[in-house]
Amino acid sequence: MTVTSPLVRLSGVHKRYGGVQALRDASLTAAGGEVHGLLGPNGSGKSTLGKVLAGSVRPDAAEIVLAGESVRIGSPRAAARLGVAAVYQQLSLVPDLSVGQNLVLGSEPGRLGFLSDRAAARRVAPVLERLTPALGDVRFDDAVRDLAPGQQQLVEIGKALLREPRVLILDEATASLHRDQVALVFDIVRELREGGAAILFVSHRLDEITELCDRATILRSGVTVAETSVPDTTPDEIVRLMVGDVQQVEREHRDAAGGPVRLRVRGLAGGALHGVDLDARGGEIVGLGGLQGQGQSELLLALFGAIAAAGDVEVDGEPVRLASPRSAARRGIALVPGDRGTQGTLPARPIQENLAIASIAGRARVGVLSTRREREAAQSMVDALAIKIGSLADPISSLSGGNAQKVVFGKWLLTEPSVVLLDDPTKGVDVGAKAEIYRIVRGLAEQGATVVINSSEDRELVTVCDRVLVLFEGAVRATLVGDEITEERLVQAALRIGEGTQGAATGEDAA
Amino acid sequence: MTAATQAPPAPTVVDRVRSVRVASWATAALLVVAVVAAIALQPNLLTPYGVASTFATFLPLVLVAVAQAIVVIGGGLDLSAGAIVALSSVVAVQVMRGEDGLAAVGLAAAVGTGVACGMLNGLVVSRLRLQPLIATFASASIFSGLALLVLPTPGGTVPAILTGTFRQAIATVPMSVLLVVAVALGWLVLRRTRVLRHIRATGGDPAAAYASLVPVQTSQFASYVLSGAISGLAGLAVLGNAGSGDPFIGGDLALGSVAAVVVGGIALRGGIGSPIGAIAGAIILALSSTILFSIGLPTSWRALAAGVVVILALALSALGAPRRRR
Repeated sequence: MTVTSPLVRLSGVHKRYGGVQALRDASLTAAGGEVHGLLGPNGSGKSTLGKVLAGSVRPDAAEIVLAGESVRIGSPRAAARLGVAAVYQQLSLVPDLSVGQNLVLGSEPGRLGFLSDRAAARRVAPVLERLTPALGDVRFDDAVRDLAPGQQQLVEIGKALLREPRVLILDEATASLHRDQVALVFDIVRELREGGAAILFVSHRLDEITELCDRATILRSGVTVAETSVPDTTPDEIVRLMVGDVQQVEREHRDAAGGPVRLRVRGLAGGALHGVDLDARGGEIVGLGGLQGQGQSELLLALFGAIAAAGDVEVDGEPVRLASPRSAARRGIALVPGDRGTQGTLPARPIQENLAIASIAGRARVGVLSTRREREAAQSMVDALAIKIGSLADPISSLSGGNAQKVVFGKWLLTEPSVVLLDDPTKGVDVGAKAEIYRIVRGLAEQGATVVINSSEDRELVTVCDRVLVLFEGAVRATLVGDEITEERLVQAALRIGEGTQGAATGEDAA
Repeated sequence: MTAATQAPPAPTVVDRVRSVRVASWATAALLVVAVVAAIALQPNLLTPYGVASTFATFLPLVLVAVAQAIVVIGGGLDLSAGAIVALSSVVAVQVMRGEDGLAAVGLAAAVGTGVACGMLNGLVVSRLRLQPLIATFASASIFSGLALLVLPTPGGTVPAILTGTFRQAIATVPMSVLLVVAVALGWLVLRRTRVLRHIRATGGDPAAAYASLVPVQTSQFASYVLSGAISGLAGLAVLGNAGSGDPFIGGDLALGSVAAVVVGGIALRGGIGSPIGAIAGAIILALSSTILFSIGLPTSWRALAAGVVVILALALSALGAPRRRR
């Protein structure tokens, strides 16, 4: 690799999403002719940083220097003009258009507003041909919707290649590919590197990073913490850099509960889930760890009957029909979603009504609601959870994130659930409220409920869980119990679990 | 969504393709049924005069259906299409004052009015980002109001050259038939343009289109402007057909065009379908009202029956189209 002046330099990048500071003074420097890894645990901001450069996220502050020139990148179009292209796991293909139409979309050749299919086919041919070994026999006119997910991902990559970028961002772009498809993409990336381009490579597969990358930037909680030469760093050192020298989190777990199994799940499959088994006892707090998007949320939603899935689920030995949230609630299952705005609350309605709504049936007499009993029930939750409110009649939108989330908890506690599912329950909640929510969760378990919690923060799992199941591609691949649950072990389990299993999930998707 | 169903297949790619095929089959089948039934009930439809006058009555709905199709394919909806037809037709009538020499000016006025209306719709939807349903419902009211200001009561004279054209034939093919064919051919030209490709991409997946550097807002805007221009042409077709201006003419056209689009196999979610289908849909709907007329359904029942037909069409398309995940 020849040493060149940096082609890309980002510095002082700040980005805040609502209450979450995704990037705090992040930076990145990559040279032309270099494959540069972008690493960090869940929620470290690596994807956001890439998207700032690709123009699809507008930063609150950032200095971007491309080939020595200070630039502003306000949109994907601006990025494209500067020679920056990006490929994400989330595809930007229009399924109703053909492969060729998608490849040239946004830069169609033609004259006077009329398109030339012949010119498009000519332009696309070399890229399609280059991808053929992995793509198979895919023609210009084939509809994108008929392709397997891996093929679609390759078309997406082809689209970026067609723009002949000098900076290419690959953000989990290999996640849905088979091993031989990945090999081809790596070959192409190496060719681009030879041609002097800078490639930013974001992947959760540590083996891919070590195989492909020359250097890597490591992010933690939105801050760039290290830049390292990949060949000179062992995988264990990389994991340590990602996790950092955190002080031991104060764990609140106790010895694993010895009670009977309350929640039993066998072979739960559908959508992102590929056969989940799970046993959880009363009084136990079970965490769902792993990289984000490996089916954690889907598992909780499926157990709650909110998305379609099939499998055997029992609560206290009684089978649960996974038909709807109503039937799940009847078996004592409650779900506290992370997205309060769309799933958890009726924003414009009074706090009292929000607290009471899930448990109406228990209080109503022959279908008639008693306002007095409703108010008493709501007040009892406000007191028990120390929710700071003005009046029960105020709309829930008047509350802070933490207090609104406590209302969602209270709503479900009133149904006296035996299984409580928590989907990232402290997202966008301040530190103080977090601690209180942990206390509530612990209290729930002490009363004998089974708690299953998904979190985007490993730290949260370490703090509250008695046991953590590490998910990968929709199945439980590892379990950490008691003192094994540390941030380092979680990251390690999440990153290294995929080694050697590449393509395991895509085989089924392609069918 | 029951536990009994097997693990659901990933976003039913195959099903979706099938639904499209079924839909176009269904459109073709409906067209055949409608034509056969209409001819059986009204044998004189097959006379040269019958064909010419039937196609003349089709033409406005055919044009509005194509206009609607473009907006729907772009992911929008235009409930003001009927009002645009009314406004453009009365503007044209007032401009032409019954003089043959001003027919070309009338054409420009009708199309210009449609374009202006489309620009308003497009701005409101693409820049202010209002829901197309509400935005065009409201703008329909504005356009209808303007139409009443331009021509308070039905009347005015349409130049003879315009009404005459509709009665003519070229090589024994009635002009009205040729015009419907011309509309279809016009579409075949239009769909080869970059702007139409971008409209289709925007309707298919706006986020993906944006990420692919498609000017999404401009494409939305363009879909309404194009649609407005075609609705303006429809206004002229109405005049040629009726021989006088009528500010109330557009009432059923908006709903009719949406129904034609649905019957024609265009998904209301955008991205899929072709205005050719919408033309077939328009003909099916027009024939079904002919059929209702010839079986002696009282006029008072006409609106009710038309509404039922629309709901049936929507229900059919909902059955055919697999639910979109995400």
